[in-house]
Amino acid sequence: MSPAAKAGAALPGLIDRRTPRWRAWLLLLPMVTWLVLFVVAPTAILLVYSFCERDEVGRVLFTFTLDNYRRVFDPVYLWIFARSIYYAGLTTVICIVAGYPVAYCIGRAREEWRQRLLLLVMVPFWTSFLIRTYAWITILKQEGLLNGFLRLFSPGTAGLDLLYTPTAVVIGLVYAYLPFMILPIYGSVEKLDGALIEAAYDLGAGPLRVFSSVIIPLTLPGVAAGTLLVFVPAVGMFAITDLMGGARVPLIGNVIQNQFMQARDWPFGAALGAVFMGLFAATYWVMLRLGAQEEDSVA
Amino acid sequence: MKSHRLILPALLALAIGAGSARAAGELNLFGWSEYIPQSVLDGFTKETGIKVNFETYASNEELLSKLVAGGGSYDLVQPSDYAAEVMIRQNLLSPLDPRLLPNLKNIAPEFRHRPHDPAGRYTVPYMSGTVGIVVNTEKVKTPVHSYSDVFTPAFKDRIVVLNDTREIVTWALYTLKLPINTINAESLAQARPVVANWVKLVKVFDSDSPKTALLNGDVDVGVVWSGEAAILWKENKKFQYFIPTEGAHQFIDVLAIPANAKNKEAAHKLIDYILRPEVSVLISEAFPYTNPNQAARKLLTPEQLANPASYPPGSPKLETFRDIGKAAADVDRLVTDLKSAR
Amino acid sequence: MSATLTPASRRRWPSGIQLLDSTLSGWTALVMLFLYLPILVLVAYSFNRSRLNIVWSGFTADWYRRVWENGPLLRAAQNSLVVAGVSTLLSVLLGTVGAWLLHRYRFRGARGLQTLVAVPMVMPEILMGISLLILFATVGMGLGFSAVIIGHVTFSFPFVLVAVQARLKGLDPAMEEAAQDLGATPLQAFWLVIVPCLRPAIVAGALMAFTLSWDELIVTFFTTNAASATLPIRVFGMAKVGLNPMLNALSAIFILATIAFVFFSDYVKKLGR
Repeated sequence: MSPAAKAGAALPGLIDRRTPRWRAWLLLLPMVTWLVLFVVAPTAILLVYSFCERDEVGRVLFTFTLDNYRRVFDPVYLWIFARSIYYAGLTTVICIVAGYPVAYCIGRAREEWRQRLLLLVMVPFWTSFLIRTYAWITILKQEGLLNGFLRLFSPGTAGLDLLYTPTAVVIGLVYAYLPFMILPIYGSVEKLDGALIEAAYDLGAGPLRVFSSVIIPLTLPGVAAGTLLVFVPAVGMFAITDLMGGARVPLIGNVIQNQFMQARDWPFGAALGAVFMGLFAATYWVMLRLGAQEEDSVA
Repeated sequence: MKSHRLILPALLALAIGAGSARAAGELNLFGWSEYIPQSVLDGFTKETGIKVNFETYASNEELLSKLVAGGGSYDLVQPSDYAAEVMIRQNLLSPLDPRLLPNLKNIAPEFRHRPHDPAGRYTVPYMSGTVGIVVNTEKVKTPVHSYSDVFTPAFKDRIVVLNDTREIVTWALYTLKLPINTINAESLAQARPVVANWVKLVKVFDSDSPKTALLNGDVDVGVVWSGEAAILWKENKKFQYFIPTEGAHQFIDVLAIPANAKNKEAAHKLIDYILRPEVSVLISEAFPYTNPNQAARKLLTPEQLANPASYPPGSPKLETFRDIGKAAADVDRLVTDLKSAR
Repeated sequence: MSATLTPASRRRWPSGIQLLDSTLSGWTALVMLFLYLPILVLVAYSFNRSRLNIVWSGFTADWYRRVWENGPLLRAAQNSLVVAGVSTLLSVLLGTVGAWLLHRYRFRGARGLQTLVAVPMVMPEILMGISLLILFATVGMGLGFSAVIIGHVTFSFPFVLVAVQARLKGLDPAMEEAAQDLGATPLQAFWLVIVPCLRPAIVAGALMAFTLSWDELIVTFFTTNAASATLPIRVFGMAKVGLNPMLNALSAIFILATIAFVFFSDYVKKLGR
């Protein structure tokens, strides 16, 4: 039994997390079965492939080799990996800064407006990705809408050269993932207790202080969830780098994609994927552990 | 709340209804979306009563990986030459029965018995094209007829090329006068400095729609599919297409029947239907590729035949790709490495 | 439960909060503009006469008629709706119950399970697509709607689960206890007390799941057959022959229909009252 559960037992009502009874396990069963069948089994298949070799025509030969893993740690791929993490990190930070106020406003809006506003955040993404991206290209290209707009104010300027640059990639990434930051934060903001905020004001705190010491700490779980939902998929993303970045700088998602498509080297692609997923799982597990310890010390 | 309870059964009913169409006389076609015009398929169904289930992919690589992983059951597929070669080598294709294809005689001899299928047993040419140079002649006044004309510092950040590692290395091999279908460590070592210089000059790598950057005016020169160049030429005659003097990659998209096809008879019927001149010309009208069907070419308009991207003048050096086996991984690593280094 | 600020309480606050509020509202408007800018362009280009999606060459409404006549495209849109609808419902079910159980109970392996839930989010789509296809081929399961939906639920339910978990953090445990003290079974307590309280997060999670599923290409490609092909499969396949404004028109119809539905359904509700 974990220390937290013991603490919970010692302080009944404070942390109510009991050991599950058969009923809880029964309820967990569908999810566990699903995960075993459609996450663990496919991952196991990939792990087997990652130790295999490709033959002359691109089929997978079931031998045992560590060559694929040796290749993964080639500096070329490590740099690409580092670059992917940098792009995803930058995207996440911008999404928090841009998205938090939006989530806050929606969460504080009149009740009948909240779900409508939430839907309005998501609806743009119910168009086709390709068509949406081509619309961005129309905006960002040299003779595009953005530069036309800028020239209205200062005629004769050369305009910005944005399309097919890393800036365009970041714009594309932020655009694609912003809703995945706004929505979970909204979930936290919506449950903020108005009385608590009022109490803080009554005690003489200024609005910025209330915001930074009451509101933000209370909505931190939402920010953490949003970070997970934005950062993690953004690291492995490949289509935006191709379309908006002109495919000039490969990211880890592109490299993995290429192994299965152009190079037809499935074992190496599987090894790249295995290392990528393994690193993530290890980091996430450690963070969960640290989070739990922190919670315990608070309890 | 009540409306929510209605959604699930309704959706399930839709899902079941959509999955239950399985009548006799069906054909499962796996091809590029819209590459075979819907009017052609409708005409075929009207004449034979065979229903065509058209499943689509976006690249040869998608087709190959889905078949290799064991997915799907198809009666007719539409790979390019090199992908067809891989499929032949992996025993994924079934030999054709020439007795069922009387219209095969319409195909020009230069498109038959090519290296990907030397005996012509497995594939029938559908459409063909090349990879060449397209130039915006309004912006570029100097002649650009070879790869070395394209990749010069004068065009830095004004170039779009296909986002395909094999293609880029092939162009480098052409400028070095090396064979493009036998790639080994030595030839890659020679190509490396050439490619390294080139990737620094390129503004956009795009295989799906390289015409976008050209039409938008973000670049002035490109090395692209002839089909893209033909669309550009139709849009504006300032876009001129040239086959590089060093030599160029020619691709032949073919029709073939997978080894595990269930309705080979219907597949033969559709191939033969497409080989009819009056049907083939419909495809040429929709897509400005090179039509290998010489009987159909007689039905084309002078304007269609004048499109240099569809029917290049002269007798340029054209080669199809062969599968390069394990060297594909080395090619991929080389280009990935050089792209990250910039 | 979710206490809201009444206008009366707001008025009592110092003017600083009003300033902060209006700054935040202004920022929200800017972000909304950012989100809708490409959508406005997309809708404008659905009236473009040029066959190519790239340069403007005059007004026409013809693409809307051509969408209506394009059977395969409409069929693909219908398939997308079915796949996204069913997989969203399943994801919400799996994600909400999963989040609650992981929150409510401490047990051996809980952290491992939590990590496992997050794995599909990090798994590159190409790996998930190919490995699921190999799995289905090995066990002899045919491709089609069920295979596609399995794939979609696998990558989208973690998003629901994470969103719901964030809301559960700091939830007053006394609530469920109170319900149970009043004689509710744990299941009743979950359904009658917890779920309504989680509603905003469930709605957010469902929206994310639907969006992910609606526009997914690669996992779908490897698990679909001809009958279940979704819109993205059609759209990406058209890249070889060139995208045309028909796709813009279809996107525009869908967006307008959604927005109309949202406001119209509200209007109907009001009439019912």
